[in-house]
Amino acid sequence: MKSTLFYAIAGLTGWQRGSILLNGHEVGRTRSQGPGRYTHLIVQRGLALIPQGDEIFTGLTVEEHLDSGAFTPRAWKERRDRKERVLDIFPPLRKLMDTPVGRLSGGERRMVSIGRGLMAEASLFLVDEPSLGLSPKIGKGVMDALMSVELGGSAMVIAEQNVGLLEGRVDRVIGMHVGKLKGEASAKLGFQTKREL
Amino acid sequence: MSIADIGFILTNAVVLTCIYGMLAIGISITWSSVGLINLSYGFIFAAAGYGAWWASNIFPHNGAIVMIAGILVGALGGVLVCALAFIPIHDKPNFPVRGMIATLAISLIGSQALMAGFGPLSKSLPEIFGSGTIDFGDMVLTADKIGNVLTSIGFVALVVTWMRSSRRGLEIRAMMMNPHAAAIVGIGVRRTGFYVMAITGGMAGLAAVLLSQTYYISPFGGLAPMIKGVSIALCGGLGSVQGAIIAAIILGLNEAITGVVLGGQYVLITQFLLIILILLIRPRGIAGIVDRAREA
Repeated sequence: MKSTLFYAIAGLTGWQRGSILLNGHEVGRTRSQGPGRYTHLIVQRGLALIPQGDEIFTGLTVEEHLDSGAFTPRAWKERRDRKERVLDIFPPLRKLMDTPVGRLSGGERRMVSIGRGLMAEASLFLVDEPSLGLSPKIGKGVMDALMSVELGGSAMVIAEQNVGLLEGRVDRVIGMHVGKLKGEASAKLGFQTKREL
Repeated sequence: MSIADIGFILTNAVVLTCIYGMLAIGISITWSSVGLINLSYGFIFAAAGYGAWWASNIFPHNGAIVMIAGILVGALGGVLVCALAFIPIHDKPNFPVRGMIATLAISLIGSQALMAGFGPLSKSLPEIFGSGTIDFGDMVLTADKIGNVLTSIGFVALVVTWMRSSRRGLEIRAMMMNPHAAAIVGIGVRRTGFYVMAITGGMAGLAAVLLSQTYYISPFGGLAPMIKGVSIALCGGLGSVQGAIIAAIILGLNEAITGVVLGGQYVLITQFLLIILILLIRPRGIAGIVDRAREA
């Protein structure tokens, strides 16, 4: 459901009613035009989607991969600096720059996938299940790295089953169950409330 | 059969391999990046041939202009096919089948239009590479053969280098590997489609000019090269440039050996038997052997 919501925001799946505003601009198109047709325009408006299950380009090297995340004109010009920033967040990628992504381990792929998202010049980062399918230790490492990102004026939304990983480190926690919002808890309240929702 | 005969057949096979291989690479790139089995190459091929012929009437003694005219008309044909058969239907259900039929329709209509416009008589292009020869032991290499091989390899190398080094090339390669993820990072499917179709159209155009050094240009002359190109692309595993090159070499060698051992009339039979054999052993083509990375 969370993934479907993210995909709907990115224009990758059709939906019926409502409106999606990004920085005050309507980006939703309720009239179905086929999935993905306008996604690049939404990305240009400042959306970076880091999808569940690592939608990666298996044959591209890590470096090309990071470049491919910077497809808005300004991000492309600054891609060298942005790459440095991503490499500071994920130091293990530094020596893998010339390796095809198809050869990497699950944790490394996740780093590449998230790194690609962070390359974008985005005001909204949607991160879908960053710890899914990773061992607890590596999952925690990925989450730590995500928390170390300096967002500046941007916002980040993380969909995560394992709320314990987020405990005390995010501004707001919103519960969602079968497509309905089930309530909100401030992170400081602790997660006991959250679990009762 | 003397060594000179074998050499003659081998060099012919190498020339044809280069030309068909170039078509196959175009078909392969188109399929894997925009998801379209483009059956209109027959028309693009013939149209580029006529474009080159038209240019050769205006500039009779300038081979380079003739060749560039062929490439440009081919690229234009690719853009036209993209606008007619890709843009309107690429996000509709069942696009691969619809696209195939749409391109087939364009091919038939276009070829008939060429026939109506230029008449059914074949045209011939002037010799682009001159008529010099190089004696190589017993073999005689003519200038057009050397020119064909060098030009096609050069053009493919240029395209591959561009795809490896430029931003647009990165977009195309990303789309070839994972169209869904390509949309997520902000690659416009439609714009990239135009680039892909223009480039592959240009490749078909160059192939048409080069093949016209051996065969005549006729409205339906693109059909046989397209069938060979599609089968080579299938054999190499649709979507892989290396696979297409290897498949083109294997099928070219097969053509040469069959020509020597059994006779030229059996070439198509052994060709398709070999393709069936390859696809029985490796249903997804040769490409898997050379891939450096495993699929997700």
